[in-house]
Amino acid sequence: MSRFLQRRFLCSRSRSNQSSKQQQWKAKQVTKSNFSEALEEIKKHIQDSDFIAVSSQKSGAFSAPWRRVLSIDTLETAYFKAKDAAEKFQLFQFAVCPFSIKESKVIAFPYNFHLFPRDELNLGMPSYSFSCQTSYLTSMAWEGFDFNVCIYDGISYLSRVQESSAKDRIGSPISRIHPVKSSLTPSVADSVFLERTRSRVRHWINACKDPIPKKGTDDALVKSLRKLILGEMFGARPCMSIDICSERQVELVLEMLNEFSDLIALIIPDKSGGPKAVRVVLTSSEEDKKLLERELENLEEEENRRVRGFREVIDAISVSQKPIVAYNCLDEFTFIHSKFLAPLPKSMSEFMCSLRFAFPCILDVNHVLKEIGPLKKAKSLPAAMSYLKRQFFVPLDMEIPHHGFSEQEHEGKNHGHNVLRITHLFAKLCFILKVTPASNQTVNDDLDNAMESYANNFYPYSTGLQELIDGEGMLWMDNSRKVSTEDLAFLWGFKTGMSAGVLKSVFRGSHDVFSEDFEVRLVDESCAIVVFWTPGSAKVLLNVLSSGMVGSGGLKEMISGGLRGVGYEIYKRICRLGLWESNLAESLERESEEPTPDVVGADPTKDWSDIDWSNDSMIKLEDL
Amino acid sequence: MKKAPLGRALVFVLHGSSFKHRPFSSATSTFGLKKVTKTNFDSALEDLRGHVRDADFVSIDLEMTGVTSAPWREFFEFDRYDVRYLKVKDSAEKFAVVQFGVCPFRWDASRESFVAHPYNFYVFPRKELPFDGPSYEFLCQTTSIDFLAKYQFDFNACVHEGVSYLSRTQEAEARCRFNLGYEDELSNLGCQFKEVRDIPLISTVDVLFTERMKNRFREWRDGLLRNTKGGSQFEGNSNGSKQQFQTVFFKMRPALMLMGFTSHQLRLIQLVIRQQFKDLAYVRVYGEDSFEQKLVVYTDSEDDKDLLMQEVKDGLHKEAERKIKAAVAFRHVIDLLSSERKLLIGHNCFLDIAHIYSKFFGPLPSAVEEFVSSFHEKFPYIVDTKHLLRTNNAIQNLMKKNSTSLSAAFAHLCPQIACASGASALPHLSYLKVEVQVDDMRSSNWNSGAKHEAGYDAFMTGCVFAQACNHIGIDFNLHSPSTVLAHNEKLQKHMNLLYLSWNTGAIIDLSSGKVTPDSSRFHVNKHRYPNVVFQNIVLLWGFPSKLKPRELRECLSKVFGPESVTSVYYLDKTAAFIQFSKEEFVTAFLVLKETLERNNDPISVLHPLSKLLEGGRTHAGNYEVYKQICSSANSKILFADQANSVGIKLRKELDTQELGSSSGMSGAGNSILHFVASSESRKCNDMLNDPSYRHFSGDEMTDALYIIKSQLGKQTRNTKL
Repeated sequence: MSRFLQRRFLCSRSRSNQSSKQQQWKAKQVTKSNFSEALEEIKKHIQDSDFIAVSSQKSGAFSAPWRRVLSIDTLETAYFKAKDAAEKFQLFQFAVCPFSIKESKVIAFPYNFHLFPRDELNLGMPSYSFSCQTSYLTSMAWEGFDFNVCIYDGISYLSRVQESSAKDRIGSPISRIHPVKSSLTPSVADSVFLERTRSRVRHWINACKDPIPKKGTDDALVKSLRKLILGEMFGARPCMSIDICSERQVELVLEMLNEFSDLIALIIPDKSGGPKAVRVVLTSSEEDKKLLERELENLEEEENRRVRGFREVIDAISVSQKPIVAYNCLDEFTFIHSKFLAPLPKSMSEFMCSLRFAFPCILDVNHVLKEIGPLKKAKSLPAAMSYLKRQFFVPLDMEIPHHGFSEQEHEGKNHGHNVLRITHLFAKLCFILKVTPASNQTVNDDLDNAMESYANNFYPYSTGLQELIDGEGMLWMDNSRKVSTEDLAFLWGFKTGMSAGVLKSVFRGSHDVFSEDFEVRLVDESCAIVVFWTPGSAKVLLNVLSSGMVGSGGLKEMISGGLRGVGYEIYKRICRLGLWESNLAESLERESEEPTPDVVGADPTKDWSDIDWSNDSMIKLEDL
Repeated sequence: MKKAPLGRALVFVLHGSSFKHRPFSSATSTFGLKKVTKTNFDSALEDLRGHVRDADFVSIDLEMTGVTSAPWREFFEFDRYDVRYLKVKDSAEKFAVVQFGVCPFRWDASRESFVAHPYNFYVFPRKELPFDGPSYEFLCQTTSIDFLAKYQFDFNACVHEGVSYLSRTQEAEARCRFNLGYEDELSNLGCQFKEVRDIPLISTVDVLFTERMKNRFREWRDGLLRNTKGGSQFEGNSNGSKQQFQTVFFKMRPALMLMGFTSHQLRLIQLVIRQQFKDLAYVRVYGEDSFEQKLVVYTDSEDDKDLLMQEVKDGLHKEAERKIKAAVAFRHVIDLLSSERKLLIGHNCFLDIAHIYSKFFGPLPSAVEEFVSSFHEKFPYIVDTKHLLRTNNAIQNLMKKNSTSLSAAFAHLCPQIACASGASALPHLSYLKVEVQVDDMRSSNWNSGAKHEAGYDAFMTGCVFAQACNHIGIDFNLHSPSTVLAHNEKLQKHMNLLYLSWNTGAIIDLSSGKVTPDSSRFHVNKHRYPNVVFQNIVLLWGFPSKLKPRELRECLSKVFGPESVTSVYYLDKTAAFIQFSKEEFVTAFLVLKETLERNNDPISVLHPLSKLLEGGRTHAGNYEVYKQICSSANSKILFADQANSVGIKLRKELDTQELGSSSGMSGAGNSILHFVASSESRKCNDMLNDPSYRHFSGDEMTDALYIIKSQLGKQTRNTKL
């Protein structure tokens, strides 16, 4: 992989309206071998940038057609679907692009990190196993994805929660001591132990400091002899070890060491992570002490890098508090949360809280797009881009002052270009919507109101970039016509292979409720959703279906043929409880026949649905 | 779009293999395995057919993307054979096979040696058919993937070029769908355009387009009728219209090929044809390169039109069959092995055969007996070299205490092949010669050394088997081409016997479905655990995580007496098996736990068990509960999470069931005790014929209750004192 890295050149200054050139924007590819170097660079770029765009490549997105986020989903059900996917699938690549918009220029530093959840510390972390969706892998293969690079050389990582549990279990080889409280009433044994060590330390310090007779300043022999006599060295500094046999003794020793000014204490852990000894290092002066402290910090950092791996990048983004730009934030950030922060919480509101804590400002390009009317229907990034290109003249320069790779080396390895597309699209939109941040202000201030209104909106408008993999979208409703979840009914038990059109014509006139205007769409092969524009109709239909009380006509026939139906509540339930079957009809059938006791969502989930549901009971049915 | 990257991938793959194949020219000893991907699959399959037909036996080996989907799914000493099967089943259902090694061995009497043909198939469960069904998905265990990477497994070859497959069940489904598909379509073509009728011509663009098409088709048709003798004028016209039309012949009829229309436009065209032209038909067919083509065909009469439709239908049918055959791909290898009824050799291969069944035949049955009998029908002869090495006395003497892992056995039994120098060890023994043939290269001294490549592992397995046969006195020189090795009486002791559970030594007989303990076992760890008595086991999960096994045992001993707990075994940090000395304690414990949880009085709080129940998330069940949890399809990483997710369903079952004997203890909907009771009663029904199960009646249950009550009394006294 090293062939990727070394050569540097200034590349890719191309005008945005030259499409042929766009393809040549390259992200810097980062694997295990050049990670440290790239990390230092990107930290700097993150600091200097206005925004950070992110985009990732996953091992899959959904396990069954109905389990992807659809336009029939409320924010809540969408979250449960996204959560399920984020827990199952793996990130293979994570592209990060810190960028700034300066007048008509975008300065971007795209990096593409290859990830693999290798168990570097032998702790069964970060991920015991993960799922792969074959259609995903196949399409990645078409794009020239190199699975060997990813698996052999991918960077590993631990989430914040995993890191703390890992630290408990391995104990870092040298852990520095942080001040301990001293509310101890020493026993007799304690004071004996203390007295003995104190005098030991004092003698040792005296011996070390004992000025060497001035006459032999150059006497190397004497020095080395002293070393021999005084024992261990920590680097170039003398040190001694104090054996201890309990946590209590550690505290005692530490407290006692406060009496001496030039000492730094380190705890040497034993195999199980408990303390084995305290190592005391003698520094020669105040500066020297500071120097040593810095050295130790570096050591700790190196250790952290080993443990955290790629998460260092995520942490750097989080620390910067810069606005993050992404496409389909719900997808992207459920993954980020579950892989790099902590396991996903049980409810959307908790998730939002937890996420906002780490990333205060998240901008979904998808939402900004909606500002431009005709783009409401844009299904993918490329579609949106080409529309903008046709309709608007945006004199925008994309500058990547990046040490990229020479063209030959890079051929076919244009991974992570999505992040650049997002960057570019976002910059264009800012320009068109005139919300470009003025160049010399700090970002958080100048994120004016307009921009703020886009922030942290997670409503999933469409199903992601990869949607085209499995072919046709399956749901569409009248544009932006809103419908309450109460006016929806899920129906199944009809002959498989019936299209929505056929179903609609079969339903029409089969019962009074179907005399008014209604819509039928297939959610998956097995299950259809009926949208009533007349309030209350759905309820009537469901009552008829459950009681079977219907005079005659088509509907009766269909009920005896196995037609079944439930309302939206049941759908919400199966999403919340994660009762995922391979087709929706099966899930609904099981749940409606023998309701599952709601142990899983016993806690805050309820609150969420009670409090916020009312605000959210309107679904915007979008053309997919 | 698709082609260029594929080409690149191909180049990459070829580079990889040429690296391996480089020594071709130089010597005989180190050419590569026969690497089979989708590019050379068809020819390789043909070669393999011949080799398998001539073979005396065929050894196999599989590489998968993982083994266990959660740490607690690993194999424990506490796993009864049926639980062990459930774990194997879970593994086979979740993980993918990425490499399949097949190595036919044929005895060459003239050279007094075996000839082996190692094949290494890269397999990938690509979705080849255009159906929308449940998406193909498989699990990867991170450590297994890392292990494969360590042995330089080529993941690119696998994903880019791996051979796909369909199981027999999937194939039948696919056929069904294809039939449905074109039946539907043809009925549509037969003038009942349900869907098409639904399109109203709203936009003016559509109206204009429809008009234009109408004129175009009329012009073409009229041209045909006029020019039956002369050349076509239309050809010239079509050039003008962006070559969207091209006159061709379809089944001896003039036709227009439609190109470059959107699907919406095509639907409008269908509409026009149906409404305006009785003598034209719109059809969808497959051309030479199986590219889909849309044609408008001219027919002489209604009869001719019907005839055309029939021909089109046949064409679609043929195309569907071709596609299905292409999608079945790798399964042809399995079908070949099955139909030839050859002796199959594997090493510790129970998991392998479960994979073979679930990937290439159909979903695995829920009971092991059903699985093995079904497998046995398809593969009547199979010998496990692990079983052979461990149970045959003659070989045991040779192996001494050596490990029976594949590579160790290979090195020990076949040193002349394992180490190219050949001069090592046991000179007084006769070694069989094995020649290896890959394509046109042949060597009697071959060692690709690619350990953990399925093809090479299959080769090693075959060598170990051949050598072992030699040691148990099978003389291949007496072998005539007509003798079937599988019928050799010396092999019968080992025929169809597989280790079901390696660490507990349970052996399953594929022909009868019987499970027997390994009699000739010299297990080092024999005494590490006391005998496992399944009825005496309580499964406990969700207890406070700091609770150590010793404390757990102390807790229980305080209640049930110092000798009551035989052993405590942690599945993971959230769950433990407790084996009691007597079966009664199991029920006693469960009831006591229940009682303590229900009462919140000081007595319960001070009870020694309360330490165990701290946090209120502690649950317990008997061994059957464990089995239930293992049979669940999902896999949470921690056992407690898994149990809780399954628990939802367990409880659901309870409510619907007649609780019978436990009527005295109704209420408390979340009581696991209910489950215990109901599972016992179900057991009565299911397992009456099985002597290994102890029938547990309602009376005993209430008896146990009384015991508990009296003990409870005692305990309270104790704690008060």
